[in-house]
Amino acid sequence: MKQQELLNIPPLTEGIDRVDGRLKVTGAAKYAAEFEVPGMTYAVFANSTITKGTIKTIDTKAAERAPGVLAVFTYLNAPKVPGYQTGGDPSKPPSGGGPLKLFVDNTVKYNGQPVAMVIADSFERATYAASLVKAEYTKEPHQTDTSKVLDKAATPKGPRFADYKRGTPDDWQSVPVKLEAEYVVPIDVHNPMELSAIIAHWTADDKLTVYDKTQGVKSTQNAIAQAFKLPPDNVQVTAKFVGGAFGNALRTWPHEIAAVMAAKQVKRPVKLVLTRDMQFYTVGYRPYTWQKINIGATADGKLTNLVHEARAQTSSFEEFTEGTVNMTRFMYACPNVGTIYKITPVDVNTPTWMRGPGEATGAFALECAIDELADKLNMDPIELRVRNHADTDPENGKPFSTKYLKEAYQMGADKIGWQNRKSKPRSVQEDGWLIGYGMGSGVFGAGRGRATVKATMQSDGVLLLQTSVTDIGVGTGTAMTQIASEVFTGIPVSKIKFELGDSSLPPSPTQGGSMITSTVGGAVHDACVALKEKFQQLIGNGGTDKPDYIQVLKDKNIPQLDVTITSSGNSEMRNFSSYSYSVHFVQVKVHPKTGVVRINKVVSVADSGHIVSPKTARSQVIGGAIGGIGMALMEEGVIDHRFGRYVNADLANYHVPVHADIPHIEALFVNKPDYKVNPMGAKGMGEIALIGMSAAVANAVYNATGKRVRELPITPDKLLG
Amino acid sequence: MEDQNKGFEAESNLQPKDNPRRDFLKKSSLLTAVALTPAVAVKAAENHLDEKVAAVFEKLSLDVTVNGVAHKLSVEPRVTLLDLLREQLHLTGTKKGCDYGQCGACTVHVDGHRVNSCLTLAMMVDGKKVITIEGLANGDELHPMQEAFIKHDGFQCGYCTPGQIMSAVACIREGHANSEAEIREYMSGNICRCGAYPNIVNAIQEVKNGGQKV
Amino acid sequence: MKQFQYVRPANQQGVLAAIAQPGTKIIAGGSNLVDLMKHGVMAPDKLVDINKLPLRNISGISNGLHIGALALNSQVAEDQQVKTKFPLLSQALTAGASAQLRNMATVGGNMMQRTRCPYFYDTAMPCNKRAPGTGCGAKEGFNRMHAIFGFSDKCIAVHPSDMCIALAALDATVLIQGRKGTRHLKFTDFHRLPGTTPELDNNLAKDELITGVEIPNNNFAQHSYYLKVRDRASYAFALISVAAALDIQNGIIKDARLAMGGVAHKPWRLTTAEQLLKGKPATVATFEQAAQTAMQGAKAFKDNAFKLQMAPASITEALTHAAGLV
Repeated sequence: MKQQELLNIPPLTEGIDRVDGRLKVTGAAKYAAEFEVPGMTYAVFANSTITKGTIKTIDTKAAERAPGVLAVFTYLNAPKVPGYQTGGDPSKPPSGGGPLKLFVDNTVKYNGQPVAMVIADSFERATYAASLVKAEYTKEPHQTDTSKVLDKAATPKGPRFADYKRGTPDDWQSVPVKLEAEYVVPIDVHNPMELSAIIAHWTADDKLTVYDKTQGVKSTQNAIAQAFKLPPDNVQVTAKFVGGAFGNALRTWPHEIAAVMAAKQVKRPVKLVLTRDMQFYTVGYRPYTWQKINIGATADGKLTNLVHEARAQTSSFEEFTEGTVNMTRFMYACPNVGTIYKITPVDVNTPTWMRGPGEATGAFALECAIDELADKLNMDPIELRVRNHADTDPENGKPFSTKYLKEAYQMGADKIGWQNRKSKPRSVQEDGWLIGYGMGSGVFGAGRGRATVKATMQSDGVLLLQTSVTDIGVGTGTAMTQIASEVFTGIPVSKIKFELGDSSLPPSPTQGGSMITSTVGGAVHDACVALKEKFQQLIGNGGTDKPDYIQVLKDKNIPQLDVTITSSGNSEMRNFSSYSYSVHFVQVKVHPKTGVVRINKVVSVADSGHIVSPKTARSQVIGGAIGGIGMALMEEGVIDHRFGRYVNADLANYHVPVHADIPHIEALFVNKPDYKVNPMGAKGMGEIALIGMSAAVANAVYNATGKRVRELPITPDKLLG
Repeated sequence: MEDQNKGFEAESNLQPKDNPRRDFLKKSSLLTAVALTPAVAVKAAENHLDEKVAAVFEKLSLDVTVNGVAHKLSVEPRVTLLDLLREQLHLTGTKKGCDYGQCGACTVHVDGHRVNSCLTLAMMVDGKKVITIEGLANGDELHPMQEAFIKHDGFQCGYCTPGQIMSAVACIREGHANSEAEIREYMSGNICRCGAYPNIVNAIQEVKNGGQKV
Repeated sequence: MKQFQYVRPANQQGVLAAIAQPGTKIIAGGSNLVDLMKHGVMAPDKLVDINKLPLRNISGISNGLHIGALALNSQVAEDQQVKTKFPLLSQALTAGASAQLRNMATVGGNMMQRTRCPYFYDTAMPCNKRAPGTGCGAKEGFNRMHAIFGFSDKCIAVHPSDMCIALAALDATVLIQGRKGTRHLKFTDFHRLPGTTPELDNNLAKDELITGVEIPNNNFAQHSYYLKVRDRASYAFALISVAAALDIQNGIIKDARLAMGGVAHKPWRLTTAEQLLKGKPATVATFEQAAQTAMQGAKAFKDNAFKLQMAPASITEALTHAAGLV
């Protein structure tokens, strides 16, 4: 079937309003902790105050005696979670090692690790009782400072992380221009506005319903089912609304298993909402990563050598890995390329993917280094990038399915007024502020996975689409509705209902990795096409393309017509490299005396195929840019390594951007479809919206001040002197 | 002296430091007031059998009007307005984002002023009028700010949204929505991690410039 | 949070009687106290809600302005008399916290605000202010936000308020009610340096009540500026803040007031620099000279050495703005 013909791609319009907008603006949208279950109890953790060692004694008597307390669980009395005991890991680890298991023994592996869990009949009582738990520890020496153990970093197991080499990257003998620079991205913490939360409710001895903050209800269902040795169908996981996550709800964390365990034990529903400081200690973060880039180029700006090394932290019990150096292999046409990726364990909780994940960390280094090289060559940074544009994928020689990066450069440059940029740093001053321009680009894989969607035409003419995917705020429901409406032309958007966020619905993958619009969208598209065809068969020859569905159902005397379709990408995809690209442009002003940086203008351009839901897509690009601004200018989780404790585990001291930090942001789209990826021609944009942004800001700050800050965040103190 | 009538002083003077609950129960005068024989009640509390008996003495009466509905409640003084709304009144539109006054997700109006409900003890709104996001619309008819947020896509995940909207309405009422810069400054107490800020500013400007009554 | 008693006395005598009892704390707006109670940093047995007291008024007095202790931060910031006579105070208040918190926080409560030092807030780490004798976590730890003036071996925390920096610069007086009577304290004497007793933030006795502050009339309204340098554009504590007030006549500085925030355990009044400014032309060169003078005696720790540069730059910048040279 010719998708292009079937989907008549309309020009980029304003797009439809968010389909769940009304629920969100009225407070009616229900997030994990907001479901009412009779007999609710409240769980609160008592957490370790040491970083490494063992619990010597733990006194729970006072807590147990406190008013309203139903139970206090520690490793001494917590019932065994059956899946914990058999080696089957209930929570899938990111790569190697095994996840932390709560309350199984007396070891402490990181500061803030829960050592007791109090269940009481009110939140206040549980909180107070948890403060009465007194633990004594036998401390062991700990190390939380990744910068001190970079030399202990080792290559993770598996072929994906082996050193990469193309040509002779280490031969620097005849390289005319060389650049070597080191970059550091600190710990960044997701800090979605919604706190991690779960309500666990056993409805029978072997059956439970879970309202959870998760990016994937199916994976949470499987994790819980495995841990408690239940058939997956006995575990219903619901996440109708997710208050942001940015990666921190991609996996099942130990607290979720603990809540389910507690609910089983007290035989009442248990609500657990992690405190804000626990968002820092226990549900992942972007790992501290040190990077080194070596570039060689000819005097006219052709890259000859490119070596990118990254060393990042992981925990002492799990290997966490991400694609920090991968972009360097294919972003630019360079004959001699090497990448090295290593991880080093420290005594903290395991990191996890945070928006843009490793690619955002890697792009900060690579895109700053390219800027530094341009400066060294006295060449415009866009010109340098264009000269090294990769027309085919240099990593595997495959053609790109589509790539409009050069157009994206041009669109952004035109919009921000790049011609006003002076190549000599610190040469523009307005009203006492230094002005600078910078840009950086980002790239992320654009694949398509497998998803199942049920499409039903109801007797009332409502087209119901059902799949288990979650919407963490990106606008999945809205995009899917729009995709369906492009197949079922003639059905108003208001008559299309997309039901999501429940494990009892047909399976979709976890929301993440910029895969959902392509994967679930593809399945929605295919299901809608199949349902249309089923109607055509029902009507028989001579039927119209846009029948009156209500009438057809009535005439045929059937209550509804439905199809359930599982679909995934086609094999043709393997012959191509498919990526989404972004280019970010910023204009900053920097106060020469105080070092304060303000963002004046932002233009972010996305080359991510056909934009199926323009309104939410624009918001996603703007949001990613703001995340990148935070990463560039203010975000850093700071640990006092003497104690292994964060000194800014809250939103007052871990700064994320506020309204006053953010100017008007222009989001532009190339909007050219890539039909090799999926029938809509759409590619993901959640990650690229952030990837490259921090480099754009750093490059602009350099252009404004002449000061190159290679360790994020670029706080005022780093620009003094 | 209306507060004296509630007996706060009389009650509180009886509470010793270590275990207020049990000592309360030993005061026979109070116990007769709840028509229980002292021995049974004390025993119940000691044995941890009937928390409800003890709880009576740890709670104070609270009269508050929420979204036009008058409530006569009995709350522990440590309960915050936020937890009262979410856990007891089941008005979950008001969000807990940090619980420490650092994010603005819990913003509600108390007697017309925007405050962080997470740092407001429920007892401190005694006799006051609270408006939450659930009380902003006029039945099915959305408040202009709610309409504008939908139109300008002033949110993504929606979790900060009730706080943003309550704050945005207050921002206009206070007279602090006269320029983009002023809106940004006076909305800075509401953090949005998804990054909907520019759209929120557009929404507020539209409502302000539209001159609708907020 | 542990259970506590809550009383709301109807009058001042009731408040004074209640706070004389051990384990009591006054609650006004609650924006700092409730926060500290949630963190387990403070655990009073009884809260004395003083919101029934008639201390909300802002009124002109013969030599200046009287502001009741229960006047809200937002109310003071928006007050027409404050804006006209003491715009510095209005600016400083608006630079602090958020619109919501300013609707809760009172003048008296703002003065009683405790440090935001992370070691003070985290009960799992040492802090002499929270738990005397446990040591100062910040001295050898993370001290980017900490003091460069007036610290002691026991404590290097800073006072977090913006309002107080302006009130210190404006020569305000604190009105205090005790059971034995009233007393007046110079605003600059209200807060104290940590010395050997960092657990004490100020010189208010346990059984005393702040009833208001008074600001004397001055000639600074035309030339004042509150500069707050911070890691983000709003809703953040100061790295450095400067309250600058000048009385300039014919280009000559007749009188000056300068105070700094984010540098000491109390609002840091810069009297030497003020003296230096007097009689000098209102030029950037003069301001730079004053800024250098103001920095005498400053000493930095591992993470806050930048303040030695940022502070004088901020003083110069604030004075330049105050003088209208920007």
